[in-house]
Amino acid sequence: MDHLRFAFQVITIAFLLGEFWTVATLHAAKENPTPVGIAPEKVADYIHAILEADRTFYTSHIVNRLQEKGILASTEQWEQENTLPLPAQFLQHSGRLVAESGSGIRYRLIGFSPIYQRNAPATEFERKALDVLRRKPDRPVTGIVSSGKKQYFQAIYSDRAVSSACVTCHNSHPLSPKQNFKLNDVMGGIAITIPLE
Amino acid sequence: MTTTPTSSPSGARWGLKTKVILSMLLVGIVPLVVGLGMAFWQGSQEIREISGESFEALATEAARKLDLLVVEEISHTARIAHDPTIIRELERRRDALRDPKRSTAAATDLEQRWKRRDPAAMTSLTGNTLSALLHEYYAGVYSAPGQLLPQVVRASTKMLFLTDVQGALVATMTDHPAFRHHDAPWWKGAFNKAVGKLYIEDIHFDDQMNTYVFTISLPIMDSLRYEAVGVLHHVIDAKEFFSPSTHAIRFGKTGHVMLIDSRGIVISCPILPTGVPLSDRNLTPLVTPQHPGWVEASSDGHGGQSTSVIGFAPLPETSRATNGSIDNGSWHTFVWQSSDELFAPIQHLLTWVMVFGAVAIMLLVSLGYVAAGRIVTPVRQLQQAAQAIGRGELQTPIQINTGDELEDLAREFTRMNAQLKAAFAGLTDQVKLKTQEVQVLQQSTDQILDAVPTPILLIDAHHVVRYINQAARDAFTIQTPLLNASLFSILSLDQDDQKQLQAEFKMNGNTAATLPNIERQTVPRDPLRPRTDHEPAGHRSELTIGSRIYHYQWFRLPTKPGEEDSIGLVLRDITDESRLQDKLVQAEKMGSLGVLTAGIGHELNNPLFGIIGLGEILQDEQDLEHIKSCAQDIVAHGRRMATIIRDFTGVTDREASDTPVSVPVEDVLDKALATAQTSVDMKDVVIHKSYAGKTPVSVLPDQLRQAFVNLLTNAAHAMKGTGTLTLSTVVSDHTVTTTIADSGPGISKQHLSKVFDPFFTTKEQGEGSGLGLTVARRIARKFGGDIRIECVEDRGTACHLMLPINTSTSSTGGPWTTSVSHSKS
Repeated sequence: MDHLRFAFQVITIAFLLGEFWTVATLHAAKENPTPVGIAPEKVADYIHAILEADRTFYTSHIVNRLQEKGILASTEQWEQENTLPLPAQFLQHSGRLVAESGSGIRYRLIGFSPIYQRNAPATEFERKALDVLRRKPDRPVTGIVSSGKKQYFQAIYSDRAVSSACVTCHNSHPLSPKQNFKLNDVMGGIAITIPLE
Repeated sequence: MTTTPTSSPSGARWGLKTKVILSMLLVGIVPLVVGLGMAFWQGSQEIREISGESFEALATEAARKLDLLVVEEISHTARIAHDPTIIRELERRRDALRDPKRSTAAATDLEQRWKRRDPAAMTSLTGNTLSALLHEYYAGVYSAPGQLLPQVVRASTKMLFLTDVQGALVATMTDHPAFRHHDAPWWKGAFNKAVGKLYIEDIHFDDQMNTYVFTISLPIMDSLRYEAVGVLHHVIDAKEFFSPSTHAIRFGKTGHVMLIDSRGIVISCPILPTGVPLSDRNLTPLVTPQHPGWVEASSDGHGGQSTSVIGFAPLPETSRATNGSIDNGSWHTFVWQSSDELFAPIQHLLTWVMVFGAVAIMLLVSLGYVAAGRIVTPVRQLQQAAQAIGRGELQTPIQINTGDELEDLAREFTRMNAQLKAAFAGLTDQVKLKTQEVQVLQQSTDQILDAVPTPILLIDAHHVVRYINQAARDAFTIQTPLLNASLFSILSLDQDDQKQLQAEFKMNGNTAATLPNIERQTVPRDPLRPRTDHEPAGHRSELTIGSRIYHYQWFRLPTKPGEEDSIGLVLRDITDESRLQDKLVQAEKMGSLGVLTAGIGHELNNPLFGIIGLGEILQDEQDLEHIKSCAQDIVAHGRRMATIIRDFTGVTDREASDTPVSVPVEDVLDKALATAQTSVDMKDVVIHKSYAGKTPVSVLPDQLRQAFVNLLTNAAHAMKGTGTLTLSTVVSDHTVTTTIADSGPGISKQHLSKVFDPFFTTKEQGEGSGLGLTVARRIARKFGGDIRIECVEDRGTACHLMLPINTSTSSTGGPWTTSVSHSKS
């Protein structure tokens, strides 16, 4: 009985694999002649939506709730102090994890007045984009940028002070160059970088 | 110096003064010691806490400072990493490596030559554009104005080099680095899968530099900051880098700040060399938590084992990048001061406290001595005064002027002394008075006792004579007062009497045993009974002393508590009484005999005169018939006389018998009536008899008859020849009561109490002896019965003679019965 069942399973798996391969081949054959893809702007929008949603949820339902109930605060030195990471740190650290995952997509927070200089705009494009976003924060600034021979699609979305935690921290941090942020101000932007190859 | 109270006779006893001083010392020292101890303990605690908190603050501050130092160094290094020339060059190299047409031979060749330290290769790496740029940065060419690199930082930089995306050396300031680094942890950490990350390598010994170093590795990001295109590696001499900062912070002689990593390895310390671990491994986890604090550890980490207060704090930014992440390592400051120095103030305090304590104790002792002296001196005065009062020698008032309770006490003592004296004076007078009274009482008692005509002796339990009254002295011819003479040496008693007396005394007042004896002995000896010598001596309370007979009585006299009772012995000379009684009995006998003789004479006279008359008639009578008749009368008279004489002799015959026999009491009564009729005129007396039958009694019939005769004679005399005589016997339980009631005038009340007294009579002189009732009662009592007289004046007298009924039936018939029947015939 067991042998029979095993044989049956093997045959089933083999059949399924064969079918999968056939479909994949057919699909590749079909894509090759007429490449149909998603526009990188769309991809960036998707990613940005996810990032925003994740961070908003983290901010309002984790950080704020725990902090209001006095259970756990969120501080910058969360690793040493056994506290929650700040919402900005949440985004940056998840971005690091995404980068380390090797999928190619990367995102980071940038701004004209960052607490740490490494978060200042790195390129002219980013600087210009932030400048544009200061005036028109509703739509992202997108463009193709290159590093050496490598080309990337970059979309920079405006980033607002979504919670009082953002404003308080930036206004009180000793390294913060600008200390007059208000809630819902555009503090900087989220730069999403997708390799084009 | 006066003698101390401790030198009192009993060595173990502590004097009041010592006790007072000791109490004061205890009262002073115990709170002092407790207070000082608590102060010391509290002081130590507070110093510990204050030091701990200060050390913690210092450690935090030092950590912040050192962290800033490292962060600044990182930012200096980061400047190089951000240099566009370097980025462009490394981007170019990355693109070149990605070019599939490129050959790896050139790189391999360069590596080989670098290893061989080929000068051309060396120059190509140390002398290229990028290396020049590194030099320029190192020299501070690109530093912002006023932000020149400090000399120490520059001096501490041991190596500074760049690698490409594959870890190959691109440019270097010195020729020390190896060519390929792609396997080095720092390279992997900093490159971080092209994502790039700050990597601070923990302290380790660098063989090439021959010193302990730490490294800062920074990824060089591409122009977009999208990915790492190389790594900038900065090797820094730890000691040189940190010592200007750590060594500057010193406090006291031993207090300092040191920097250690999470493994407990010293990075920088003014005392310990860099690279050595802390002396106590157990200390490391205590001082390397991820937050600032202080701890009281059992060692100091510098080789000392004394309790130490250690402050500590992590370097936050540096720790975050140590070995790639905070979990792989962290750096901490460690603030410590030797406990000797730390606790020096408290040791100082303790010393001073001990000095002050010693001074306080000395003060206490001297004050205590003075105070005790002030308290004890009057107390001792009081003690001496009390002793004087005890001996009755205190004459003057006690002089204590302390103005407190002791002075009051002294005053009370004086007053008490006065009162005691007064009380004693009164008491002495009273004692004198009482003594006189007692003496008078004793004298009067002696006089009374001497006046008593009977001898009285007082003896103690050992029969030693304590007192003899005058009568006894006279009786026993004792001239001088005898002291400690035995009773038996005074009274010349025979052995039996001595034994009897001793036995009685030993009974110890057991009256139940002695009473019956005495009671029986108080009954005088039956005069009708002959004296028998074989009667036991113990049953008589009589003593024969010399030629005289004494009746004696003894009694116990209570004496002082604890001594045995004395015995009083009262003797009564009954020699004369005894003789008188014998004479009495004799007289009664004689009286009875006289009456009897008169009766007999009377009885015999009648026939005798008849015979005489008949004889006179016969002298002149011729008639034979008349003579025969007279002769017959003479014979009859003669026979009657013979009968009378026979009866009389019959009575006297039985006198000899002394054994009680059982006879009916009624028979005895009838016999007695017959006898009485012979002596008393009872012709006109009506006799009523009412007998209960034949009631047996155990008696000597003649004596009982004698008793009845006496009673009947009395009754007949009372009636003076006319009246009614009632004789009756009544049986009740074990007693038969014989009643002889007459119809005479009775006995007057004043005489009724005396009727049993000997020689008491209401009859004319010569008519009665006065012994009839006395004898009758004695006879009745002899047989266990008694006589009671009931009398109603003018209506007669009733004599009741009670006798116990003889219940034994053996002797109903006897010689007496025959005799009765004989008399009746």
